[in-house]
Amino acid sequence: MKRSRTAALLLMSATPLLLTACGDDESTREGVYTSVESCTAQTHDAATCQQAFDKAKKDAAENGPQFASRDTCEVDYGTGKCEQRTDSSGHSFFGPLMTGFFISQMLRGGSPMAGFSSAPAFRTSNGQWQRPDNNNSVYRSGGGVYAGGSRGMTTITSAPDTAVTSSRGGFGSRGGARGGSGE
Amino acid sequence: MRRVSIAERPNWRHLAAESGFDFHTIGGQPYWDESAYYAFSLREIEDDIEAPTTELHDMALDLVDDIVRNEQMMRQLDIPHTYWDWIAESWRKRDPHLYGRMDLAYDGNGPAKLYEFNYDTPTSLFEAAFFQWQWLEQQLTRGALPAGADQFNSIYESLVEAFGTIATRIARPFYVSAVRGSNEDQGTVAYLRDCAIQAGIDCGEIAIEDIGISRDGRFTDLNDRVIGCLFKLYPLEDMLREEFGSFLPRSGMQLIEPPWKAVLSNKGILPLLWQKHAGHPNLLPAVFDDATALAPGWVRKPLYSREGANIAMRLPDGSALDSSGPYIDGPCIRQAYHPLPSFDGRHMLIGSWVVGDRACGMGLREDHSPITRDSAHFVPHAIIDDGSANSPKATLIA
Repeated sequence: MKRSRTAALLLMSATPLLLTACGDDESTREGVYTSVESCTAQTHDAATCQQAFDKAKKDAAENGPQFASRDTCEVDYGTGKCEQRTDSSGHSFFGPLMTGFFISQMLRGGSPMAGFSSAPAFRTSNGQWQRPDNNNSVYRSGGGVYAGGSRGMTTITSAPDTAVTSSRGGFGSRGGARGGSGE
Repeated sequence: MRRVSIAERPNWRHLAAESGFDFHTIGGQPYWDESAYYAFSLREIEDDIEAPTTELHDMALDLVDDIVRNEQMMRQLDIPHTYWDWIAESWRKRDPHLYGRMDLAYDGNGPAKLYEFNYDTPTSLFEAAFFQWQWLEQQLTRGALPAGADQFNSIYESLVEAFGTIATRIARPFYVSAVRGSNEDQGTVAYLRDCAIQAGIDCGEIAIEDIGISRDGRFTDLNDRVIGCLFKLYPLEDMLREEFGSFLPRSGMQLIEPPWKAVLSNKGILPLLWQKHAGHPNLLPAVFDDATALAPGWVRKPLYSREGANIAMRLPDGSALDSSGPYIDGPCIRQAYHPLPSFDGRHMLIGSWVVGDRACGMGLREDHSPITRDSAHFVPHAIIDDGSANSPKATLIA
């Protein structure tokens, strides 16, 4: 047979299939935020956002990427986006400015459970967000565990961040005038 | 292959309304036309459409690798140089692609000839994947088609499979987007969103005009949420030249179709393919246009024209045929004239679909003009493998 066995429509159909959501399942809420304010707007949890930010700021020098020179740092993170730092053992290096922080929380039935993990986030020159990989910045309220480790960075793919929009309408002028853009 | 008249389903307009297919009639003119269908043999489908589509797709992707490393070719394709690195990087990372459609001229005799790739913003997807499929099933049930009739159309299953496969590589939140005022484009992205959600990918919708930019160069939805990945049914070459275009490479926003598709959705791919594979049975001779007078037997097409706009044809007998349109000042290519098959004055073009990298179906368009325009009717097809489909009835124009 050269054709599909079924051809279902979910939303477009006048009689859509119904999806049932499970009420008490566990899920993870992750996000990268550029400020405590944008975190609070999304999660409605100002205290957690502030703690996560403070923790990330503190961890940025220890766990962030380290470079021997400003030039090599700026290749990855952009001109003017790197600074000289000293870690807790007195070692001097260049690293990118922390441009945001990552927060991860477990949800049960849509409500956050106790504890969260956070990490500093850095924006590369091609616009991607990164955070230190492995679990070296786990914070749990009531007894934090924090292990130093590798300096490997991992790209953050889940980024339900908010940013204040400064303008709209910068796309669509050509196609809108033609009345359509597909072919 | 033959064209067969058939009675319409009496309730098809009701079915169209029920499934959200509200552009079956455009500007008072019919677009969906089920007063006839094209019957193909299984051999014609598998040997003459499916296999060449796979081969042409592979040849095209192979060429992307050459082009993104070659400044002269990028210049020939009229891609602004500030985006070259971005496009090359997107290819190096093999940013996931979803779908494309290539247009083929095929009359049932001899090899299908590639007219062009529509690899950035293809439409006529819903009508090919869903409404055509439903037509076949219902005409089988009604006994209007011979028992065992089939269709070259696993587009729906392939789309859901493709979304499922790339799900982990799609940044969230994920949006589909098209210009607000086009029913056809909005219908197409609504269908893609439906398929994405069926594959388990949460997916929103936003008009392309509503996308915002933040002060630090990130793209936002109407609630100021930063867009992770945007499926845009909007020409990338237009986005690059619009106000927000310069923010794209550093915005962090993923695009589907990805930036590397810019080299395939561009008619400059046709002369480049011909240079590398001159004489290939499914290719027409093609060269970059040098702005001299068009010789008989050649067709001039702008690199970026869509929907058959601004095409200039010089027929072998010396007569000329032109279509109007907005693409007046860009570079062009020339392609050897090769007419579409004509059935009682209707010129039929095959749109052969590729989802992921799989040739998986087709949709046919008929136009009264030899140049297929956006007003061309969509006509369904069937595979009727009783041998009767093999009597060639195509009469060539010219």
